[in-house]
Amino acid sequence: MSRTYVLRRAIQAVGTLLVIVTVLFFLFRLGLPDPTAALVTEGLSPEDRAAVRERFGLDRPLFEQYVIYLGNVVRGEFGTSFYYKAPVASLVWEKFANTMVLMLVAIVIAYALGIPLGAYLAWKRGTRSDTVGIVLGLMFRAAPMFWTGMLAVLLFGVMLGWLPTSGMRTLPYEAAGFFDKIFTLDFLRHLIMPALIIALFYLGSPLLIMRNTMLEVYGEDFIEMARAKGLRERDILYRHAARNALLPVMTQLAVTVGLAAGGQVVVEVVFSWPGLGREILQAVRTSDFPLAQATFVLMAAMVIGMNFLADMIYGALDPRVKLQ
Amino acid sequence: MRTQASTRRVWIAALAALAIAFGLATAQAQEPVPQIEILTTTEAYDPIRYEAAFMVADTWRELGFEVIVRPLEFSTLLERFYDQQDFDVTILGWSGRVDRLDPQHFLSTLDSRQTSLGSNNPGGYSNPEYDALFDAQAAEFDADARRAIVLEMQELVAPDAPLVVLYHRDEVIAYNETRWTDMVTMAGEGLYNEWTPLEVTPLTDDRVLTIGSPQEPDTLNPLDSTSVWGWKWMRMYYDKLVRLSPEIEPLPWAAATITAVDDVTIDITLREGMTFHDGEPVTAEDVKFTFDYYVDQDFGYFRAFLTPIESVEVTGPLGVRFNLSTPFAPFITVTLSQIPILPAHIWSGIDNPADLAPDQIPQVGSGPFQFDRYDRGEYKRLNVYPQHFAAADIDIEAVEMIVYADSEGVFTGMQTGELDMTAWRMEPGQIPLAEANDDLVVVSVPDFGYFHMTWNLRRSPFDNVAARRALTMATDRQHMVNVLLDGRGEVGSSVVAPVNAFWHNPFTERFDYDMEAARAELEGAGFTWNAEGRIVAP
Repeated sequence: MSRTYVLRRAIQAVGTLLVIVTVLFFLFRLGLPDPTAALVTEGLSPEDRAAVRERFGLDRPLFEQYVIYLGNVVRGEFGTSFYYKAPVASLVWEKFANTMVLMLVAIVIAYALGIPLGAYLAWKRGTRSDTVGIVLGLMFRAAPMFWTGMLAVLLFGVMLGWLPTSGMRTLPYEAAGFFDKIFTLDFLRHLIMPALIIALFYLGSPLLIMRNTMLEVYGEDFIEMARAKGLRERDILYRHAARNALLPVMTQLAVTVGLAAGGQVVVEVVFSWPGLGREILQAVRTSDFPLAQATFVLMAAMVIGMNFLADMIYGALDPRVKLQ
Repeated sequence: MRTQASTRRVWIAALAALAIAFGLATAQAQEPVPQIEILTTTEAYDPIRYEAAFMVADTWRELGFEVIVRPLEFSTLLERFYDQQDFDVTILGWSGRVDRLDPQHFLSTLDSRQTSLGSNNPGGYSNPEYDALFDAQAAEFDADARRAIVLEMQELVAPDAPLVVLYHRDEVIAYNETRWTDMVTMAGEGLYNEWTPLEVTPLTDDRVLTIGSPQEPDTLNPLDSTSVWGWKWMRMYYDKLVRLSPEIEPLPWAAATITAVDDVTIDITLREGMTFHDGEPVTAEDVKFTFDYYVDQDFGYFRAFLTPIESVEVTGPLGVRFNLSTPFAPFITVTLSQIPILPAHIWSGIDNPADLAPDQIPQVGSGPFQFDRYDRGEYKRLNVYPQHFAAADIDIEAVEMIVYADSEGVFTGMQTGELDMTAWRMEPGQIPLAEANDDLVVVSVPDFGYFHMTWNLRRSPFDNVAARRALTMATDRQHMVNVLLDGRGEVGSSVVAPVNAFWHNPFTERFDYDMEAARAELEGAGFTWNAEGRIVAP
C-alpha cells in the first residue's frame, strides 16, 4: 500500500464530502418549506416571522448563506438549531451515541450469527436445512422492520408484558455519563427488542454472502488438497474455507457500520429510541435546516470514512490484493 | 362617385362596428362567472382540509360554477393567502390557543383595518359598523356589556357571509380511570391543561401523574419558546397574575385583587407570602421587571398582549399599577393570564435571554409546581412546590412527561399502563381501541379554534353578497363533520366557537346545506344560467 494511494483516497473522500455538503444545503432549502411557516398558526405576525428569518440569517441571499455555511462547516461549526434554539453539535452527539450503541449491538449479533450460519448452510448445500436457512434469512430481510417491530411490541410488550416497549431506560434514571447509562440491566431489557429486530433484518446479508462465497471457495484446489490430506470436514469448513470466504463479508460489514449512523429510523420510531434517526425526522418535519444538515453530513462522513477504512484494511487482510 | 362610394363605405363600416360592438356586449353579458380556484393543503399535510376542498368543489359545480382545487405546500399556501392575497378561495385554520378564548383575536380577523398585505383579514371584508363595534368591545371593561357588543358583532356579520367557518374539530384524548379520577377538561385544551394537575385525585399509591407526548418542546426558555409544546409545560411552574378557570373565567391568582381604576389604569395587589422556588419573595418589583423585560426584549410571541402597556409602576411592596395607552379589555383575560412572573434577581443580569444555552436557562418560577429535571427527547418532571398557596389542595406529588417518537408510541404506553393520560389528540384509528380498553376512558373536548374557507371579496363573484350567501348554503359542512371528522367535531357558524359559550352568539344566520335555497338566492340577485348550464353574473 503506497503512501500516495492513501493520500489520493483521502483527498477523494474529503472531496466527496464537500459535494454532499453542497447538495444537502441546496436540497433542504429548495425542498423544504420555510421554517417560519409553522409559527404562523401559533399567531406570529409577518413582522415577527421576518425577525425570526433575520435571526437565523434566512433573509440573506441563498448563495451568501451557502458561503457562510461552508465556512462554518470547515471550522466544525454546524450552527444553531432553528427549532431547539441550541447549538446543533451538542444536540447531535448525544443522539448519535444512542443510535450507535443500538446499531452496533444489532450488527455484531447479525454478523456473529450470520457468518457461521452462512458457512454451515454452504456445507449443507442442497439439504433441507439449507433451504430453510435461506428462506428465513430472506424473509427477515424482506419483512419491513416497522411491521416486525410493531408485532414484537404487541406480543412481548402489550400482551405478555415481558419487555419495555419504549425508550432506552426506565424513566426517570440517574446516569453520570453515557457509559453509566448503558452498563445496566435496565438498559439491556430496553435494548433486546429493537436490537433483535434490526439484527434479524441484517442477518440475511452476511448469511447469504458467506454461503455463496463459501460455495465458490469449496471448488478451489486447496480444499481438494485439504480433503486429500484427510482433514476433518469441520476443520476444512471453518479453518480453511471460511477464512478465505470472509473478505466480501468484511466489505459488507464496513458499509453496514457506515450506514449505521442514520440508524434505522423506523425502529427508533417504533421503540421511541432517543436516537439520531428520530431527530432527523423531527428536523425535516420542522424544516430545521442546521440540524438536518448536520445529521446528514454526519451520516455521509460515516459512510465515506468506513469505505475508506474498508479499502485500507482490504490490503492488510488479503495479501493478494495490491493497492496502487 | 368617389365621394358617394366612400361615404357608403363609411356607413357600412360604422354599421359593422356597431354590430360587432353590440355582439360583443351581448356576448359579454353571456360570459359565465370566471373559474374559481380553491387553495387548500396537500393531502399529506392535512387529509381533512384536502378532502373538504373537493367536497366544496363538487356542490359548487352543481350550481353552475366552474371550480378547480389546487393543493399547495403549506408555507406557499400561507404566502398566497396572507402575504400576497393572491387567491379566490383558501381553506386554512386558526389553532385554539388559550389566549384566543378571549374573542379579541378572532373578531379582529374581520376588521377592515386588518386587510393590508400580511395582516389577519386577507379576505378583505370591510364593514364600518363592525369596526366601530370592534373598538367599542375592546374598550369595554364590564364583561356583560362587552358580551352584548360581541354578540351583536356576530349577528351583524353573519348575513354578509364574509367567510365560511367550516368546522371545529374535537380534541380526543384518553386517561387511565383505574388509577385517576377528577380529571379536568377544558375547551381546546383537553386534559393537559393547567387545572388537571391541581385537581386530579390518585386512586392508587402512585401519586405521580405521568403524561405521554409525541412532541418535544422547542425550548423551556420563557423568552424564546414559540410553541404550545413549551408553554403548556412552563405555565405549570410559572405563576401568572390571573388564571383562567376551566370555564374560562378569569380568576385572580398571584394577584389578590385586580381593580380597574379607569379604562386605562389597572391596579393589582399581589398575594402575601408568595415565594419563588429558590426561596426569594415574589414582590411588586418582580412583576414590574417581568413586564418591562418582555417589552424591552420585544418578544414576538407575546407582543400583541403587551403593546397596550404604556408603563408599569410599583405602588407598594405588593402593589403594581398598569398604565395603558388605549383601553384594552383583553388586558385582564389575556395579558395578565399569559405573562409568567419572572424572578427579577435572576433575569435582570441576562441581557440576551434568547441566546442562552439550554443548560443555562433559569428554571425558577413561583408556580404550584417546581422544575425538577428535563432530559431532552426522553423525560421531564415537576414536583409540587409545598410553599405555594395552592399546594395544600394538590393530591399528587409530581407531574412527569414521557416523550415518544409518535402518537403510536404514546398509545402503546397507555395500553401497557406506563402512562396515565395523553397530552394531545389521538389518531382516529386509536380511538376505538381505547374505547374497547377497560382501563381507559376516551374524552372528546370541543375546540374553539376553527377551520375556515375564506374568499377574496375583491374578486368576482365574491364581491356579490348573494353569491357568497349561496355558496355558503352550497357547502355541506355537516357532511364534512360526519364523514371527514367521523362525527367528532361541530359545524361552524361564527369565528367565536360555540364551546366558548360566554362569547358565542347561537342566534345568527346559519346557512344550513340547501341547494334549492342557494339557487333561489342566486336567481333573486339576478344570476342566470347560459345554455351549457354555467352561471352568469347579473
